[in-house]
Amino acid sequence: MRPFKYSSTTNVKAATHLLMANPRAKFLAGGTNILDLMKEDVERPDELVDITRLALALVKPVTEGVNKGGISIGGLGKNTETANHPLIRQNFPLITQAILAGASAQIRNMATNGGNLNQRTRCPYFYEVSMPCNKREPGSGCGALQGINRMHAVFGWSESCVAVHPSDMCVALVALDAVVKVQGSNGQTRSIPFADYHRLPGDTPQKDNNLAHGEMVTSIEIPKNNFANKSYYLKVRDRASYAFALVSVAAAIEMSGNQIKQARVAMGGVAHKPWRAYEAEKFLAGKEATETNFRQAAEMEMKQAKPLEHNKYKIELGTRAIVLALTKAMNGGKAG
Amino acid sequence: MSEPNKSIGQAINRVDGLLKVTGAASYATDYVLKNTAHAVIFKSTIAAGKITDIETTEAEKAPGVLAVITHKNAPKLNEKGGIRGGALLQSPTIEWYGQHIGLVVAETFEQARYATRLIKVSYEKAEPKVDFTKHQKEAVLPKGNPDAVRGDVDTAFRNAEFKIEAIYETPIEHHHPMETHSTVAVWEGEKVTLYNGSQIVNGAQAAAASTLGIETEKVRIVTPFIGGGFGSKGGQWANLVLTAIAARAVNRPVKLALTRQQMFNSVGLRQKNHQKIRLAATKDGKLTALAHETSTHCAMSNEFVEPCGDCSKVMYEVPNSLISYRVVPMNIIIPTYTRGPGKSTGSFALESAIDELAYQLKMDPIQFRLKNEPAKDPSNGKPWSSRTTVQCLQEGAKAFGWEKRKIEPRQNQQGEYLIGYGVACGTYPARQQNSSAIVRLTRKGNDVKATIELAASDLGTGTNTIIAQTASDALGLAVNKITVKIGDSTLPPAAGSVGSVGAASFCNAVNDACEKITNELISKSSKQFFVRPTAAHLMVSENLTKFETRADAKAPADAGSYSSHSFNANFAEVWVNSQTGMVKVHRFLAVTGAGKILNPKTARSQIIGGNVWGIGMALTEESVLDPRWGNFVTRSLADYHVPSNLDIGTIDTIFIDEKDTIPNKLGVKGIGEVGIVGVAGAVANAIFNATGKRVRDLPITPDKLL
Ligand SMILES: Cc1cc2nc3c(=O)[nH]c(=O)nc-3n(C[C@H](O)[C@H](O)[C@H](O)COP(=O)(O)OP(=O)(O)OC[C@H]3O[C@@H](n4cnc5c(N)ncnc54)[C@H](O)[C@@H]3O)c2cc1C
Ligand code: SF4
Repeated sequence: MRPFKYSSTTNVKAATHLLMANPRAKFLAGGTNILDLMKEDVERPDELVDITRLALALVKPVTEGVNKGGISIGGLGKNTETANHPLIRQNFPLITQAILAGASAQIRNMATNGGNLNQRTRCPYFYEVSMPCNKREPGSGCGALQGINRMHAVFGWSESCVAVHPSDMCVALVALDAVVKVQGSNGQTRSIPFADYHRLPGDTPQKDNNLAHGEMVTSIEIPKNNFANKSYYLKVRDRASYAFALVSVAAAIEMSGNQIKQARVAMGGVAHKPWRAYEAEKFLAGKEATETNFRQAAEMEMKQAKPLEHNKYKIELGTRAIVLALTKAMNGGKAG
Repeated sequence: MSEPNKSIGQAINRVDGLLKVTGAASYATDYVLKNTAHAVIFKSTIAAGKITDIETTEAEKAPGVLAVITHKNAPKLNEKGGIRGGALLQSPTIEWYGQHIGLVVAETFEQARYATRLIKVSYEKAEPKVDFTKHQKEAVLPKGNPDAVRGDVDTAFRNAEFKIEAIYETPIEHHHPMETHSTVAVWEGEKVTLYNGSQIVNGAQAAAASTLGIETEKVRIVTPFIGGGFGSKGGQWANLVLTAIAARAVNRPVKLALTRQQMFNSVGLRQKNHQKIRLAATKDGKLTALAHETSTHCAMSNEFVEPCGDCSKVMYEVPNSLISYRVVPMNIIIPTYTRGPGKSTGSFALESAIDELAYQLKMDPIQFRLKNEPAKDPSNGKPWSSRTTVQCLQEGAKAFGWEKRKIEPRQNQQGEYLIGYGVACGTYPARQQNSSAIVRLTRKGNDVKATIELAASDLGTGTNTIIAQTASDALGLAVNKITVKIGDSTLPPAAGSVGSVGAASFCNAVNDACEKITNELISKSSKQFFVRPTAAHLMVSENLTKFETRADAKAPADAGSYSSHSFNANFAEVWVNSQTGMVKVHRFLAVTGAGKILNPKTARSQIIGGNVWGIGMALTEESVLDPRWGNFVTRSLADYHVPSNLDIGTIDTIFIDEKDTIPNKLGVKGIGEVGIVGVAGAVANAIFNATGKRVRDLPITPDKLL
């Protein structure tokens, strides 16, 4: 680990100021990702601004603005507390399931919601500093493109980066049209629709998302919806716990009579950002909730996928996972 | 199995359990010595070639740094001194990615690690050989491993009506004990003490001394507790000696602990095995031919072959057989002994093939095995000292509910899950190796106590406990009156905790020493005894306050005229998600015949541990190399997957009641290795029974079952 300065503050403004004053400073939340990366010499901040003492942990109803009637979760809420909060369990069991499908109990107890959004890829070439990686060192090449890319993207990748975003929670959040509330050092706040928060790699893979330096995720709002009794988070992985997704699917359905009024489908483990399956959703609207329709929707989505050398299986697996997640959602899949 | 009033055979708790759960047990890095400095190793970032320059000035100037040692300034060491795998900083040559190329010693671990990042290395790169698939055809006959041929396999195979020919592949695996390889070195004049997890205490001592070029007695190894090794702490690796030279360089105690990431290319691995099996049988299920041909890789400058054909040599009666090995040197760290060496990987191939042929014959795989049970060891014609395969299969089948298994796959479905049953057998040789032990008795009033001393090691398996139990019975003293001192090279020399020889070697030595001390006490006494008195009684009746003796134990003289093995049968019930390909081992049962079970509780834990690793071998574990550069892309325990609790339902163990005193007096056969043998085969066979898919390359990850 390189020597760094540690600062701590209890207010958002001071924290964002500290960051603005130092382009090499970073926020420290639960530390489950950034500290690992510093030990590996991948992240090299020369200052960490500890934000765990900020009062940004609450889960509460949204009382004003466009998401009024929805729920807001704090940027510094712990993943575990968020998952188990009664407001989340009742209204958005999809989020509960997704969070609990990630990492391990110990890590979730430390990890924060803001940290979860901003965690970095698990691409092994990113982690190994002697390897080429455009995300870590722009211009050095992408080790994974022609390398071992079984875990990598099938949607939206570029020649410069084929990494995937590792989060489970974010897959549920993008499916539910969440909104990320951020505050900058000038005190100004802005709202970023979840689908626009993370980025595709293009030729700037070093940028995971659209947060500017010095901006902080203060909360995440989830608008009210009618998915609570028809949603399911399915995570397919190499072992049943404590492994990142090969493919995951967040599925939510709202019915009107025997027709699907609207369906939400999002995928993890397939792209540089949590991937909203708009093609599948579009197809399902107004259709009956049959396996044939689920399969057709899944195939339409996966048709756009471009696999790499070692991840061709993600096409078939992704298709099946969408069908299974939708089927389970229809059966009222409950939170774990 | 257990006799009343005897400790052997009782499921007592570990004698060191309290020390372990309270954190009072000292592992290598727990030895806190005044003024300790910290060393961190740095490694090559190419797999082949040589270092042309290594720039250390900036690192040397970094805060806290005391020394930087590379091949340029390292003292001369004897590279043939018994340290496995080289990497002793003696030359600029690089033979694998992640070879040690130097170390930094600093006041703190963090300072040392930071300084390693300031070192600049220039290389002259050579074309690395790291892609096994590409280089496999270059594999040649290894020295000392001639083809074992019986009869005429080719003709028998050609003429057979029922046969299968298939290739089974197992990936590179790593041992990954919880305690990474760590050493604390302290010099006192010409003598060095090395606190270091060593499965073979005397082996570590000899290797360190000879590599450092000093007399054996000048090296002391201290290793009372070890956080697992699984073979990776059997041989000793460069970290042991590099810590010693670092301590000498800075003239202070030095502590060095490998990081988890460094474990991938520092302390050996289980290599990738490509196993071709040809197996043939008559219509009524008599085997006629078995060929087991393994090709694999080894280090550039050191040959090592995992004996994958060992189970094929002894498991079945078959008139025509061929066991062969071919090996190609590659730019990958040297492979080494890894739990159930050869048997765990080899039995996957053999027992899958048996299952495949049974299916072709439409025969129950247990019946098929029973039909081919050998009356004596087919590899050398020696009689078995005992063999429990039949009992293991039959008792296991009953306990597991094997009769519920359908012979055709995909016949058992519940919701989205396909359910299947599988069976596979395993074996591991039983041996006793030379070990010595000292017993010291002391008495205060009627309170007699014993101390047992020998340079044994406890990997966490329960060695301390079974030694105490053995001494308890042999001396007539309660277990809590016995102190066990092991893990120190100043104690009488002993075998290692390797190859399942530990329990037999240690406990027979301890038993001999206790019998000897009793005999000596009897002859000291003027009394006549009609019932043999215990040493404890004699201490009182002879009014002695102190008495001691030493025994040097060996295997019985005629042990070598027999073939002695532990045997097992493994039963797996898997639930395969028909949509996602995820597999859960819902139930697992291992039935083991391993002679005398000294402590059913620690024995059960040993077997369960082996089973879990075997399930990992079947389903999750794989170290993946980038074929261009030779680095492992699975580089932490987040990427190298061992099974989690959720992957496995229940594991049951049954021990066959077996008395066999041919291999050693106590009749102990050893359980450490056999627990993993046959496990992967049972799981793979169950997956076939569930899904109809035969996966022949491990691990069976979800993508392979779509
Ligand atoms: C072994 C392992 C397995 C894991 N498995 C999974 C998994 O299966 N699924 C999954 O989803 N996750 C998994 N995780 C990742 C885990 O969820 C993240 O590490 C965690 O969510 C990060 O949160 P944190 O608070 O610890 O972030 P930190 O490590 O403190 O910070 C991460 C990054 O976010 C920035 N940051 C933190 N908070 C804010 C904020 N409020 N505003 C702006 N920037 C901020 C930091 O500056 C830093 O760059 C795993 C992690 C580990 C170590
Ligand atoms: S995929 Fe992205 S993160 Fe991985 S090596 Fe390529 S550029 Fe780096």
